[in-house]
Amino acid sequence: MSLRLKLLLLGLLTLVLPWAGCRYAREMESALREGEQTSLESVAETLATSLEGRVDLLYRAPTGPDAVDTAALSKSGPYDLRPVALAAAPLLDGYSEDWPHDPSVWAWYEKDAAHRFGVLTGVYERVLFLLLDVRDAHPVFDAPGASPLDPHGLGDRVWLGFQDPAGGERQVFVAASGPGAVTARYVESGEYGQQLAQLEPRIRGAWQLTPGGYRVELRVPLSMLGAGFGVLVDDRDARGGEPLSYGSLHPDDLRTLGHLIMASPDLTTYLAQFSQPGLRLAVTTPAGQVLARVDALKRVAELAPAPPLIARLYRRFVDQPGTQPPIEARVAVYDREHHNVIGELEVTQTPDRWLRLRDRALTRMLNFTLATSIVVVIAMFAFAAWLALRLSRLRQASESALTRTGLVTSFPDTGARDELGDVARSFSRLLGRLNEYTGYLRTLAGKLAHEIRTPLTIVRSSLENLEAEQVPSSARAYLDRARHGSERLNAILLAMGAATRVEEAIGGAERTRFDLVPLIGSAVAAYRSAFPERRFSGELPAGPVTLEGAPDLVVQMLDKLIENAVDFSPPGSTITVRLGLEPGAAVLEVENPGPPLPAGAPGHLFESLWQSRTGGDNRPHFGLGLYIVRLIAEFHGGSASAGDLPGGGGARFSVRLALTG
Amino acid sequence: MKRLIAIVEDEAAIRDNYAAAFTREGYAVRTYANRLQAMSAFAARLPDLAVIDISLEDEPEGGFELCRQLRALSPVLPIIFLTARDSELDAVSGLRLGADDFLTKDLSLAHLSARVNALFRRVDALRKPEQAGDILQRGPLSLDTERMQAQWDGKVVLLSLTEFWIVHALAHHPGHVRNRQQLMDAANVVLDDNTITSHVKRIRRKFQGVDPQFDAVQTVYGMGYRWVE
Repeated sequence: MSLRLKLLLLGLLTLVLPWAGCRYAREMESALREGEQTSLESVAETLATSLEGRVDLLYRAPTGPDAVDTAALSKSGPYDLRPVALAAAPLLDGYSEDWPHDPSVWAWYEKDAAHRFGVLTGVYERVLFLLLDVRDAHPVFDAPGASPLDPHGLGDRVWLGFQDPAGGERQVFVAASGPGAVTARYVESGEYGQQLAQLEPRIRGAWQLTPGGYRVELRVPLSMLGAGFGVLVDDRDARGGEPLSYGSLHPDDLRTLGHLIMASPDLTTYLAQFSQPGLRLAVTTPAGQVLARVDALKRVAELAPAPPLIARLYRRFVDQPGTQPPIEARVAVYDREHHNVIGELEVTQTPDRWLRLRDRALTRMLNFTLATSIVVVIAMFAFAAWLALRLSRLRQASESALTRTGLVTSFPDTGARDELGDVARSFSRLLGRLNEYTGYLRTLAGKLAHEIRTPLTIVRSSLENLEAEQVPSSARAYLDRARHGSERLNAILLAMGAATRVEEAIGGAERTRFDLVPLIGSAVAAYRSAFPERRFSGELPAGPVTLEGAPDLVVQMLDKLIENAVDFSPPGSTITVRLGLEPGAAVLEVENPGPPLPAGAPGHLFESLWQSRTGGDNRPHFGLGLYIVRLIAEFHGGSASAGDLPGGGGARFSVRLALTG
Repeated sequence: MKRLIAIVEDEAAIRDNYAAAFTREGYAVRTYANRLQAMSAFAARLPDLAVIDISLEDEPEGGFELCRQLRALSPVLPIIFLTARDSELDAVSGLRLGADDFLTKDLSLAHLSARVNALFRRVDALRKPEQAGDILQRGPLSLDTERMQAQWDGKVVLLSLTEFWIVHALAHHPGHVRNRQQLMDAANVVLDDNTITSHVKRIRRKFQGVDPQFDAVQTVYGMGYRWVE
C-alpha cells in the first residue's frame, strides 16, 4: 500500500467527526424533546391553573355565590347540545341548504315513533343558530290574529329554555300563524297578574313546512345564554288541543335539562393570547368534548425559514424513518374547591419546533465537520503526494548513485529541515564517503602497483645481480623460485594498473569510423589460435556495421569478454561471439557454457574490483576485466549487461554500442 | 678507457644494484641521489650515458629538469629514463625532452644492459662514416641498424630506442603479423597491451609527422601488427 493511500485512509478517519456529530444530534434531539415536553407540561399546568374554576369561560356558567353545580356541568348528559362551528351565518329562511349536511351532528328527541324532532346547533360570530326539524303528521299554525296566549288559537310551538349568564332560568317560545319569519316571545306576568307575551326581538328566525312536518330556523345571541339550554316542542294535532310536549326541557316547569356544550367566546380569546406558531391549545370537557381550541400547528413556517436542501439531506442520515410525533401535555382543570375536574387542557406542540432548532445546529455542525474532513483529506493527500514525490526523488537519486559509479554531486532535498532532509543529508554524506571510498578503491590498484614497483625492482635487480655471482648449485633452485615469484608479482602489478591505463587510453583515444564486422571476424580468428582448447563460433551480419570510435579499444573490450568466457567455460566448449543490430545500436554478445552468474551479481559485475567468481587458472583477477569492458562500452555511448543463458548452463555478456547515423 | 655511466636515483638499493650490474658489464659507474649532486658532478665531467629517475628525493619532477639541463650540455649524450611511473603522459614528456628511451623499473637488468649497449653502439656508429650494409631498405623506409636511425623518404624520423626496435621488428619481414609478445622481445621490454598500443600509435604519429599519408603499420585485430609496403 502506498504512502499516499495510507495517509488518504488516515484522512478519511476524520469522517468520524460528522458521524459523531450525527450521534450527538440524535442525543441532543431526545434531550431537547424531553426539555420541550417538560416545559410544555409546565405551560399547560400554568394555563390550567389560570383556568381553575372558570366555569364562566368554560361553560358560560356564573361563578358567583349562587354558582351552579360544577360537577353537573362537566358531566355530559343526553340533553346536552354541541353546537358546530359554522363557516358562515345561515340565511334565516327556514331552509336547511346552507347548513352542514352531516347527519351525525343532529340531536334527536322523540316522544314516540310519530313524534320526534332533531336539533342542529351552530355558532357563528357569537350568535347561536338553531335548526329544528320537527316530524309532525299534522302541523298546526296559531290562529291568525289571535293572541299568542289565547288557549283556543294555539297551534304547534317551540319552546327554548336557557339559563342566562347570571344563572336564572328563562324561557321563550316561537309560534307562527303561517310559514315565514318568526320572532320569539316570552311570557311576562303583568302588573295585575295577567300574563303578557312580550316580544324577544334578539331571538328570531323562520318557520317553514316540510313534507314530514315543519322546520324552524332561529338565531340567539350567545350573550343571552348561560350554561343550561333546552328545546321543547308542543305538538298539537288540532288548534287549541292538548299539547304533546317533549324535548330537552322539563315538561312541567320548563327547566333546562341539558347544557349547551360550548365555551364562552372569551375562552378562545383567552387561549389565543398564549398561542404560538406550532402550538395547539385545546380545552375539553372531562369527557373529551372540545370546548375551545386555538390551533397554530400548521403555522410552523413562522418559526424559522424552511430548512435548506442540504439540511433535509442531513436529516435523512440522522432521523429514523417516519415522521416525528408531536409532543402533548394534558392537564386537568379543577373547580375552585379543587374537588371536581371541570375540564381538561391539552397542549400540543409540533415536532418542527425543536426539529428546526436541531436542524440548524446539525447543519452548522455537519457543514463544519465535513468541511474539516475535506480539508484534512485534501491536505493529507497533498502532503502524502509531496512526501511521496520527495521520497521517490530520494530513491531515484540513491538508486542512480548506486548503480552508476559516477559522482553524485547534488542530492535532492538536502536543504529540507525535516527528518526527510536529515535522511537526504545523511544519504548525501554516506554517498559522499562511499564515492571517496570507491574513488580510493579505484585508484588503489594503480597506486598500489606504483608503490610496490620500487621494492619489487629492488628484489628483482638484486636477484639478477645474485645470478651473476658465484651461487652454489644447491642455492640455485631457491634463486629460481625467487625469480619466478618476483615475475608473478610483476604480472600482478601489470594487471592492477590495467584499468588506470585503459582509462588513460580512453582519455587519449581518437575516434575514427570503422566497420565492426571485419574487426570482430579477425579477432575471432585470432582467438581460435590463441585459445586452442576452446571452439569459437562467430555469428556476424552480412552487411557492414559502421561505428565511430576506437577499434583498438573495441578489440580490447572483446579480449576481456573472451578472457572472461574462457575462464568460466570448460575446455572443449564452444564460445559464441555474436554481432547483432538493434535500432541505433550494435549488440555484441559473448556466450559461454559454464556455471550461471552468481545471484544478485549482474548489477555489480561491471564494477571496478568486483570479484565474485573464481576462475579456473592462477592468473590474477581483480575484477577489472569487466570494468574495462564497461568503460569501453560507455566510451562508445553504450552499455554492458550480463545474464544467464536461457535454460541455464552458461552466461551471456552483451555490449551495446551506439551506431553512427 | 671505460665508459662512464651516471645513475641518478634516490632509492639507494636500486641505485647500488644497477651500479653493480653495470660494473659487472665493464662500465665505470657514478651514482647520485639527487639532481644537485648530479649537476655539480656533470659540470665537472660529462658521463657517457645517463640513467635518470624522474622523481628525485624532494623533487617529484627532478629527472625531467635534469634531462633538460643535461641535453643542454650535450645534444648527443644518451639519456635513459628509468622510473616507477608508467603513465603515458610521463613517457611523452620524457621523450620530448630529448631522452633516448623511457623505461619502467620492471625492466630486467639484462634488458637494461642490452639497451645501454645498443645506445653505446649508436654513439660509436655516429662517429664512424655511414656503412651501406647496415641499412634496411623497405620502400620509402630506410633503417640504419647501427645508428638506430629511421628515415622515411630520406627524412629522419626521430624514434626512441624501443620504437626503433618495434619498427625494425615489423619492417624486417613485411606482411608478417608480429604479435605483441614478439614485439616486446624485439624491443627488450615487458609491456602490457595498452603500452604496446600507445607505442605503435606514437610510431605512426611520428611517421605521419613526416608523411601524412603514412599507412605502413597495420593493426591486425586480435593478433598484432604488420608492416605493409
